[in-house]
Order: sequence, then structure tokens, then C-alpha cells
Amino acid sequence: LFLYTVSLNGQSPPGKPDIIKCRSFEKVTFSCWWKPGSDGGLPTNYSLLYRKENDPKVYECPDYETSGPNSCYFDKAHTSFWIFYHIYVNATNALGSNVSDEESVDTTYIVQPYPPINVSLTVESGRYDLLAKWLPPAMADVQSGWLTLKYEVRLKEEKEQEWEAHSVGNQLKLRLYGLIPGGNYVVQVRCKPDSGHWSEWSPESYVQIPGGGKKTDLTLWIS
Amino acid sequence: CPDGGTNCQMSTGALFDRAVKLSHYIHSLSSEMFNEFDERFTPSRRFLAKSVMSCHTSSLNTPEDKEQAQQIQHEDLLNLVMRVLRSWNDPLLHMVAEVQDIREAPDTILWKAVEIEEQTKRLLEGMEKIVGRIHPFDLENDVNSLWSGPPAAQSADENSRLFAFYNLLHCLRRDSHKIDNYLKLLKCRLIHESNC
Repeated sequence: LFLYTVSLNGQSPPGKPDIIKCRSFEKVTFSCWWKPGSDGGLPTNYSLLYRKENDPKVYECPDYETSGPNSCYFDKAHTSFWIFYHIYVNATNALGSNVSDEESVDTTYIVQPYPPINVSLTVESGRYDLLAKWLPPAMADVQSGWLTLKYEVRLKEEKEQEWEAHSVGNQLKLRLYGLIPGGNYVVQVRCKPDSGHWSEWSPESYVQIPGGGKKTDLTLWIS
Repeated sequence: CPDGGTNCQMSTGALFDRAVKLSHYIHSLSSEMFNEFDERFTPSRRFLAKSVMSCHTSSLNTPEDKEQAQQIQHEDLLNLVMRVLRSWNDPLLHMVAEVQDIREAPDTILWKAVEIEEQTKRLLEGMEKIVGRIHPFDLENDVNSLWSGPPAAQSADENSRLFAFYNLLHCLRRDSHKIDNYLKLLKCRLIHESNC
């Protein structure tokens, strides 16, 4: 009778959750996020379970808080590299449970750092070139050699559509030549570890190249 | 020698730079090769999903996180790198032979297999030089092969052969990344006093 009543209310077992992504920001810890399916109109509990390569035991997520809602955070004690984690999410409510597909994650290949920081742009007086400098993201330990980052810089004149990209290797600066006098430029930097993914671009940094006056005169004269 | 002399010597730092460039290159090639193979063969056969992958080097107790890697003595880490490198001599030769037998394998995979085999030999020679500099009296020459040879070729059908090859590529990508990572750590530790 109870079951009959609840199904009349449109209640049901939970829908299938879906693991969206796993990411390590600094190659020391990592997190995974999932998208819940429908909750079936009932309070629903989620648990993330995982197995590590070469270990038959099934473990439960050590920390559901740190990385926000519907996430699991693996601190450094729970993070190993060069092995697979086989991960799935269980959803349970009063009427039953449902389980996501299993994701196999090789932690070595999910490293995606934060963007580089402290991007600074300097124009040397009397010249039309630009010196861009930046620092690695705060949590990235590049000193020890554990993480090696390469960088990419992109710039464009504010009104242009197309970016001009430059790969930089692991240097922390780049000199850009041939800029338009008087032009307003936008610059962004991103970084990528050896076997991981590009970070997002750093926030836009702006700079104006001096000496725009003559160009306007010239345009007026021609027209 | 830059000026043709015979008595010149590269600094250990310069040797390390070369080794790291080489290990980086080898890992990039292994990665590309794995991805090419994966794209071409996995969609129709679904290798990875539930299969148990194992590598001939998995018995070696290599560091699996930053702390472990930093706690291990640099001599021991160097020895580990040497063991992993040496353990790939035979599998790489097998890989080059095998890739020529796989129909529909693109030429780029063959080229990469040959290149990886050659460059790994170079890296091993370079590393022997480095180890000889750092620990001249402590050269652990472990000839124990970890690899037990290719799976019995006659009995294997096409599919299990492809899977064995896929597994080998996966192990190569993983081990070449470990080697590259450990060498970068060692270089920062030994040459730059952990301030790279």
C-alpha cells in the first residue's frame, strides 16, 4: 500500500548519476564531480566508490565537502599517480538505487593547473615592443621538478577578432615585437603540464602602446 | 668536442639537460603512438573498458606521489630509472617487430616505434654516463630481465595480439612518463638544489 501511494505522488527510485570530470590542479590531489540524475522526488543519498588498479578492495570517497556539491576530493594521502582509479557513483533513496557508469581515470592525465598569475606588461619608452612576464600558478610546485609547465601567450589589438598565439616553453617572460603604435592590446597567458591539459587563460591584461597620434593624422590626410 | 679536441668533458648539468630533453621526447612519441593506436583500434574493440592491464615493470616499487618521490634517496631513484630503462630493451625490440606485422597500422606508428627504440638506447647510454659521474663505484648492473617475452604468438588470435600490443603501448606511455618525471626531479635536486 505504501509503495502504491508513493508512486501515485510521482515518486521513484533515483535516476542514473553521471561522472562529469576528474581534475588535479597541482598533481598532488584530485577531485571528481558528478551530475545527479532525477532524485525521484525523495531525499537521495550519493556515495562515490572507487577501486585502485592492482587493489581489489572498494573504497568510499574520503571527502565530499572540499570540492563543493556533488564532488569527491582525494587528498594527497589518497592520491597516487601512474595508476588507474575505477570510479562510480551510487544514488539511493527510499525506493531504490541507481549507479553511474564506471569511469577509469589515470591520474597522470587529468592534471590541469590554475592559470599563471601576476601577468605584467611593460612597454619600454621609445619602442613599440612589449615585455610580458608572469609567474606559475601559486599551487604548482615547479621548483622541485615534480611538475613542469610550459606556457602560451596570446595577444590581440582590442578591436581585432583574431588572437595571435606564441608558445613559450618553460620561460616566464616573452618579448613581443611589431605592435601598432597607439594600439590597445589585450594579453593572456596559460600553462600546461607535461602530460596534462592546458589551464584556463589568465584574466585579460591591457596595455597601450605609446605613439598613436601620427597614425590618426595620416588617416585624416588620406581621406 | 666543440673544437675537435679529445679531452673535453660536458658538465653533469649539461648531460642532465640532454637526458631530460631525450626522455621528454620519448614520452611525447609514446603518448602520440598510444593515442594513434587507441583512436584506430579501440572504438571497434573496446579494449580498455574492463580489461586488466598489467606491465612487466609493475613489480618495481616506484614512487607514486610527490612525497614518495622526494623521500627516496637520489641514488635509489637513479637506480630505479636505470632498471626501468633496461627492462624496456627487449620489449621495444619486440614492439618494432610486432608493429610491422599489424595490418592496417599506419606508417607513423612504425616510424615512432623505431625512433623510440633508438632514442631509448641513447638515453640509457647517457644515463650510464651520469650515474658513472655521480656514483662511480656504485654501478648496479642489474641484467635481470623483468620482461617474460611476448605472449605465445602462435596460439594468440588477432584480437588478443592487438590487445597485448595495446597493453604494451599503455605501459610504455606510463613508464616513459615516470622516467621523464623522475629525471626532471633528479635534475632539479642534483643540479639546481631543488630550485628549478
